Amino acid sequence: MSTAAAEPSTVAPAGTAGGRAPAAVELRGLTKRFPVRRGWGDVLRRPFHREHRVVVSDVTCDIRAGEFFGLLGPNGAGKTTLFKMLATLVIPDAGTATVAGLDVAREGSRVRRVLTPVIADERSLYWRLSARENLQLFARLHGFGGAVAECRVGEVLEAVSLHDTGTRLAGEFSSGMKQRLLIARALLARPSVLLLDEPTRSLDPISARTFRAFLREEVSRKQGCTVLLATHNAEEALELCDRVGVLDRGRLLAAGRADDLAARFGEERYRAWTRDPGHAAWTSLAARGLIQRPASAGIDADGWTRVEMEIPGRLERAAAVLQALGDAGVRVGRFERVGLSLADLIERIVQHHGAA
Amino acid sequence: MGAALALVRASWLTARTYRVNLLLSLVYLPVLIVPVFYISRAVQSVAEDAIRTQGGQYFGFVLLGMITFSFVSAAVNGLPAALAGGVSTGTLEALLATPVRLPVLLAGLTGYNFVWTTIRALLMLGIGLALGARIEWARAPVAVAILALIVAAHVGFGVLGAAMTLAFRTAGPLGQAVIVASSLLGGVYWPTDARVIPDVIRGLSDFVPLTYGLRALRQTLLEGAGLAAIAPDVAKLTGIAMLLLGASALGFRAALRYARRAGTLAQY
Repeated sequence: MSTAAAEPSTVAPAGTAGGRAPAAVELRGLTKRFPVRRGWGDVLRRPFHREHRVVVSDVTCDIRAGEFFGLLGPNGAGKTTLFKMLATLVIPDAGTATVAGLDVAREGSRVRRVLTPVIADERSLYWRLSARENLQLFARLHGFGGAVAECRVGEVLEAVSLHDTGTRLAGEFSSGMKQRLLIARALLARPSVLLLDEPTRSLDPISARTFRAFLREEVSRKQGCTVLLATHNAEEALELCDRVGVLDRGRLLAAGRADDLAARFGEERYRAWTRDPGHAAWTSLAARGLIQRPASAGIDADGWTRVEMEIPGRLERAAAVLQALGDAGVRVGRFERVGLSLADLIERIVQHHGAA
Repeated sequence: MGAALALVRASWLTARTYRVNLLLSLVYLPVLIVPVFYISRAVQSVAEDAIRTQGGQYFGFVLLGMITFSFVSAAVNGLPAALAGGVSTGTLEALLATPVRLPVLLAGLTGYNFVWTTIRALLMLGIGLALGARIEWARAPVAVAILALIVAAHVGFGVLGAAMTLAFRTAGPLGQAVIVASSLLGGVYWPTDARVIPDVIRGLSDFVPLTYGLRALRQTLLEGAGLAAIAPDVAKLTGIAMLLLGASALGFRAALRYARRAGTLAQY
């Protein structure tokens, strides 16, 4: 993370009473570049030329033990590569990453004992084996034997509500069931750090909600697992995460509590329902800098036009704007602060850093 | 060890769901061996002289050649195929994310292949014996050791192919070249010192590990030869095995590091 982003990463996670837990994951200047794939013509013209694309750039961040940390960002932001570096599947080019004090580049085998990625690809299951057989295999790979393995397999099947379908071939499962099986597989080893890359993308809304409750209660609260969650789902991030980090083009732009970030980057957005969207008062307020970027957001069925704008400053400034509109004779039927969606938040943080 | 066995078990559980394939691969054996038996009877008088130092019975000679060759195929092709399968099905990444050490993982991935080859080899041997092949059973332990050495030498090629698969998504022509060279020049169907193939090509047999392994194996199991008689061939085979295993281990490490660095570990 850049220096600017280092500050919010010191915010204490919820549930630690403001106390500081030791870092479960420490990233220091973590960087990864991948070679750019070139066409045959270019390779023949410039055989020794090398081009690289930076996928993760100088990311510095601490994630404390027991914390639920969300990693947000648009597609191609570098979330999956960051996870793969932590899971020792990709070697960093620069910087360090430690998990429970173990260096991912030098102590891969030991890192894999404490950290498990949920590989979200359904294909990574053995489709011709039953759910139970899949889990039995991975229980053995994680060092569980005999009765202990059986017991653990039963526990995780129960935890993801697949205990009734344990004998069915994984290939016969629906996408949602496969997703749950993937998670069960990751939970087998009782990892102290769990990496979740868009875990609910194949789940229906009800299953996703149940699964989130399971993550929060079982994995995070009861097992005390540190969870890193990459997601595009706002509801998910806000519901689950103690803190979120926003990654864009490989850079960690900001990290902190989601509501803090929302306040920092987006609490100034308001929406007014008016009969007079073309009134000169709007232009006047904008010219005086009291409102910014006013824009029509459509007309309701009853004829009221929605105008969205940004009003810098606190509620007092919003009250002053409302007063000015009323004084100018602009009919405003409703006026409210707009909750910022996660997509908006990410966009704003990205824009903010772009402008900076 | 438990991890490797678990992978072998998973491969077996997977294989048994393909029932027709499983059945056919066993039914195929008598269909393969019975014609060989009759052809052997037909050429016995012609071949007898050339294989006098290796038991003198052509059917037994070819039977051992075919059995050994099935192990060579498993050793050369098993691991690259298992890795390519793991990449294309997506299971490889999940396996590499576990704390299991890489050699154990590779042994587990290829283990079932060897178990199944052993079962098929025993069935082939059983059919051969029923058809009249004669084996020096007292020398069986030595023969098993020689077979293990042959497998070890060819596993080196398999690991090199696996390294190619990891790094470049193809094992290239290596496996095919070894298989063709072994079957034509390694003495599977005719003795390498007989004048069956042109002298120039025959000279290449000295570069094929199977040449030494099969000669030692046949002398042991068909002729009942002692250790002194087979020592030169065994020594050469051991040297080749050590060289290939060492080189392939280095190659595989480099390929894995390359794939991890390039982020292509689980890409098609």
